[in-house]
Amino acid sequence: MSGVKKIVLLGLLISQALVLSIIESWIPIPMPVPGVKLGLANIITVTVIVFFGFREALTVMTIKCVLSSIFGGGGWMLFLFSFSGGLLSTVVMSGLYKAGRDKFSIIGISIAGAISHNIGQLLVAAFFMQDLAVAFFLPLLLVSGCIMGFFVGVISSFLINALKNTKLY
Amino acid sequence: MGTVVIQRIYHKEAEKIGEKVKKRIAEIEAKMTINKPGGEINALNDTSGKDYVVLGDDTLYVLDKARHFSDISNGAFDVTIGPLVKAWGIWSDNPRIPQKSEIDELLELVDYKDVLIDKDNSRAMLKKTGQVVDLGGIAKGYAADEAINIYKENGVESAFISMGGNVAVLGGKPDGSPWRIGIRNPKGSQGSYIGILSVKDKTVVSSGEYERFFEKDGVRYHHILDPKTGYPAESDLTGVTIVSDLSIDADALSTATFVLGLEEGMRFIEGLDGVEAVFITKDDKIYITGGLKNIFEFKDESKEFEYVEKR
Amino acid sequence: MLKKGDLFIVLIVIIMIAVSFVGVSIFRGREDDGHKTALIIRDGKEIRRIDLDAVDEPIEITVDGDYNNTIIAEKGRIRFMEADCPDKVCVDTGWLYKTGDMAVCLPNKVMIKIEGKSQDIDIVTY
Repeated sequence: MSGVKKIVLLGLLISQALVLSIIESWIPIPMPVPGVKLGLANIITVTVIVFFGFREALTVMTIKCVLSSIFGGGGWMLFLFSFSGGLLSTVVMSGLYKAGRDKFSIIGISIAGAISHNIGQLLVAAFFMQDLAVAFFLPLLLVSGCIMGFFVGVISSFLINALKNTKLY
Repeated sequence: MGTVVIQRIYHKEAEKIGEKVKKRIAEIEAKMTINKPGGEINALNDTSGKDYVVLGDDTLYVLDKARHFSDISNGAFDVTIGPLVKAWGIWSDNPRIPQKSEIDELLELVDYKDVLIDKDNSRAMLKKTGQVVDLGGIAKGYAADEAINIYKENGVESAFISMGGNVAVLGGKPDGSPWRIGIRNPKGSQGSYIGILSVKDKTVVSSGEYERFFEKDGVRYHHILDPKTGYPAESDLTGVTIVSDLSIDADALSTATFVLGLEEGMRFIEGLDGVEAVFITKDDKIYITGGLKNIFEFKDESKEFEYVEKR
Repeated sequence: MLKKGDLFIVLIVIIMIAVSFVGVSIFRGREDDGHKTALIIRDGKEIRRIDLDAVDEPIEITVDGDYNNTIIAEKGRIRFMEADCPDKVCVDTGWLYKTGDMAVCLPNKVMIKIEGKSQDIDIVTY
C-alpha cells in the first residue's frame, strides 16, 4: 500500500477512534468503579492491528489519546490514564494476534485487550494514589472488561470482515 | 469549651451516663467561660479591682487549683493571663498580633498573686481593675475529672473520655488490660502518634504548639502565651504530655511545662509527686521522666523522631 | 467466530477474576470489626483519620483540589456526598462501612478507605 494511502487511512481511523471515544463518554456506566468504559476505541485498535501492525496500532492509539485528552480537558492526568490502558491492551492484542491469529478469534483478542486496558488503568490509578489498595476494584473491572470486550469483539469481527471485502486494504 | 468529646463507656446504661456527662460539661462551661456571657468567672472578672464575688464550690475549687499551679510553676502557668489571650484573639476567628506597647500595658495586669481567695466565705476577688481570670487552660481538666466521677457514681468500671485530646481513663479495658493512649505526632496528621502510654485510672493531657496557631508574614504564632513576655512561649518543645491522677492538675501542668521548656520542665515535673511527663522537642527528640519507663512505648511510624532514653 | 484459543483466554480471565475476588474478600473485613478508622488520602498523603466508631454528630469534610469533594462521616460509615468532578464515580460508590471498603475520586486524587487492623491504641492525646 502506498505511503499516502496509508496515512490517509490511518488518519481516518484515528478520527473514528476519537468519535467513538466521544460517543462512549456519553454513555455512563453506573458502576462504583472509576475507569469503566465501553472501550469502543478498541474496535479501531484491533482493526489497525489486523490490517497494518503493531507499530501503526500504537501510533493510532497514542495520537487518539493525546487528542482526546486535549478535547476532553482532563489534562495530562487523563492522558496518562487512557494511554496506560491503551498501551497495555495494544501490546497484548497485537501479541496475541501475531502469535496465533488462527488460534484466537477477534472476540477472544478483544476480551484480552479490554482486560489489559483496565489493568493498565488500575496500575496508573494505584500510582496516583500511591496505594495498591485500588486493587479493591479489580474483580469488578475484570468482569466488566470481559463483557465489554466480548461485545467490542463481536463488532470488531463484523467490521474487519466487511473491510476485508471492500479490498480497500 | 467547643471541643470534640469522645466517650467510651462500658456499661448497660452507657448512653444515659454519657448524656449525664455531656450535661455536666455544659454546666461547667456555662459557669466558667469567659467567651460567652453569664457564669461566675465573668462576674469575677467584671468586678476586678472592686469587690469580692461569691463563687460556687466548683468554681472556687478550679480557681484555687489554678492559683496553686500558677504559684508552684512560678508563673509559667498564670491564671490571670486573660487580658493577653483576649488581645491576641487566639480563640476567635480573627487572631492578631498586638503592638508591643499594648502587650507591655497588659502585662501589668498579669499576676496570679492578685487573685485573692477567701475560702471561708466562698468568695474571691481580683486586686486590680481590668484583670481577667481565664480558666481555659484548666477547665477541660476539671470537666474530665467530673466525668470520671460520674462514671464511678454510676457503677462504671471501665471507661475513658477524651475532651479535645485531654484524656482521662477509669480502670483499664474490660479485659483487664490497660488503656493504650497514643501521643499525637506533632508533625503528623490527626490520629498519627509517636508513642503509646499504657495506663489505668490516670489522665493523659498534652499541650503543644501544633494545637492552635496562626501564621502571618511567614511567622507562626501558637496559642500558648508566656505570661512573662506576653508572646507565644519560645519553648524548645513542640509538645509535652502529662500523666497524673487528676486531669485538672495535668491540664495546668501541661501548659506550664510547655512554657518552661525541656530542662526546667523536666526538673519541675520530677519535683512533683505522682506526676510524669513525655517531652517532644523541636529537634525531634523524645524524653520521658523516670516513672514512665514501664508505661511508655516508643512507636513512631513516621521514623522522624528519636527516643532518648537517658538524659 | 470463536476459536480454540479463546477458551484459553477466557479461562485465564476467569482465574484472574476468582483470585482477585478472593483476595479482596479476605482483606475486606466484617461489619463489626470494631475500631473502624476511615482514612482520607489525597495525593498519596493521609490528610485526615477518623475513628468512625467515635463519631456522634455527622462530620462534614471538604477537600479542595483540582476539583472539590464533600465527604460525610457518620457513626460507623463514611462516603463522598458531593463532588464536582466529571464522572462522580466517587459519589456513586455510596456508603463505606466495612474494613477495606474504598471510594476514589481520581480526578481530584482523593481516596477514602476504611482501615481496620485491630487498632494498637484506643485514643490519641493531643
